[in-house]
Amino acid sequence: MKHRLLVVEDEQHLAEGLRFNLEAEGYEVQVVDTGEAALERLIVQGEKFQGEKFDAVVLDVMLPGKDGFAVISEMRQAGQFVPTLMLTARGRSGDILQGFEAGADDYLTKPFDLKILIARIEGLLRRREWLRASEEKAKVEVPETKNSFTFGDKSVHYDLLELRVGDKVFPLTLMEMNVLRYLIEHEGKPVSRKTMLEEVWGLNEDTDTRAIDNFIVRLRRYIEADPAKPKHLRTVRGVGYRLVAFPAEA
Amino acid sequence: MVGPGRRKSIAFFISLGAGLILVIILLYVGWVLLNWRTGILLFLGVVIVATVIAGIVLNTIFLVHEIRRNEQHDAFINAVTHELKTPVASIRLYIETLQTRAVDEEKRKEFYGIMLADSDRLLGMIEQILRTGRLGSASRKPNLAPLNLSEVVGECVERAAVQHKAPTGAIEYQPGGVLPIRADYDEVRAAVSNLIDNAVKYSGSEMKIEVESGERMGKFAEVRVRDHGAGIPQSELKRIFKRFYRITGPHATRVKGTGLGLYIVRSVAKRHSGRAWAESAGPGKGSTFVVQFPIAR
Repeated sequence: MKHRLLVVEDEQHLAEGLRFNLEAEGYEVQVVDTGEAALERLIVQGEKFQGEKFDAVVLDVMLPGKDGFAVISEMRQAGQFVPTLMLTARGRSGDILQGFEAGADDYLTKPFDLKILIARIEGLLRRREWLRASEEKAKVEVPETKNSFTFGDKSVHYDLLELRVGDKVFPLTLMEMNVLRYLIEHEGKPVSRKTMLEEVWGLNEDTDTRAIDNFIVRLRRYIEADPAKPKHLRTVRGVGYRLVAFPAEA
Repeated sequence: MVGPGRRKSIAFFISLGAGLILVIILLYVGWVLLNWRTGILLFLGVVIVATVIAGIVLNTIFLVHEIRRNEQHDAFINAVTHELKTPVASIRLYIETLQTRAVDEEKRKEFYGIMLADSDRLLGMIEQILRTGRLGSASRKPNLAPLNLSEVVGECVERAAVQHKAPTGAIEYQPGGVLPIRADYDEVRAAVSNLIDNAVKYSGSEMKIEVESGERMGKFAEVRVRDHGAGIPQSELKRIFKRFYRITGPHATRVKGTGLGLYIVRSVAKRHSGRAWAESAGPGKGSTFVVQFPIAR
């Protein structure tokens, strides 16, 4: 079955070039030119688009009206977790981080290499397939494997991009999962913000390291019983953060 | 782009400043009412407090002005980045497509056309930026030569109609006879083209633009460009000519731009001892842009 892609791009020439190439790669491609139209297809789904599903989204940032950051943010808030690649002329580290914070799975700056774009889309779709396969397996019970990490009543499932706390299941974006995974891999040790930016995102420019704080705030909301008094995701003053899987009871 | 969070924090600090000034005034008035006998000290106190308040007000105005400038500058950098990188990305995409895929002759021709249009767009943007730099420099004088303004406007209308693929009658031109001016041909052409391009951009899907040239009061040669598009709020009619300035609001964010076009128009008019202004009955009611140059007898 053909994978269905939604391309959200207002620059007509680029949109048509993308459509031509992605169709040549065997995808079924729909193009919309505004953020509002994208949300209509992905979230609202009135009568016209009822039941329409996409396997991945290529989303421009500088759109007329609602920009790409607002679109991805609304998608995620509405529970639409379709893999999304942001494609934009804005390539500063702050912009890239803003995209990931808003919920993007991948980010590519214009001008881009066509082969890289296609490889990234394939990567997103592959992860989605893995996710589906894992979900099939995990329908009865999620076993403890090397692809998961359990502490207390919480379990992190890397492949499923899920965090389970008691009965609740929190879907995580790829970047949230990468941050959490990195902290788990360094469990008990302080990890600096700069190291996380470099190791998790490969950003080694002079980036505002506080960007990482927003991710921690979100993860605390999922993990901590009282996010204002974190027991697991602790702040290490002047350095960064430390994950304590099994905190000693006070 | 300015986030709503940043705007909120600015509004908070401005309100805080205004509130504190009010508290100072109230405290002082109260103090004066209670101690009205201590004459000279009272007078000195009034002067000092008035000076301090004036200082705080001036400081706040300066800060607000600087914050606005920074915001406009950020928005300009983002817009220029977009305007420069997008056509490059498009040209590159089509070159890679032609290199790596079997493309039939018809599509190939279409792709070449797209690449040409994108390289024209890129060139236009680069020229716009370089022109802004030149207009801002006092040492670069315009290259004055005798011109017929009606003829220059005609050329601009023809170029715009082709570039924007305007349907017949969408851009109408009424030339007002021979209008002799002494001006820099490139600069006048850039100013008039910017006005027509703006009218196209802000017209939306129903393009209906009227361009006129004529003589005013026997002193000026004038060009008027009227559209029936987005319109401009009264409060913005002057500001839109400032460098980097862009109208904010739901409709304006739908149109991309750098905030250089109208700055160029006014700068060109001023450099030729002319003037430029905008008229509009308000949002949604279209706008008319006028530029005048002195007639050369």
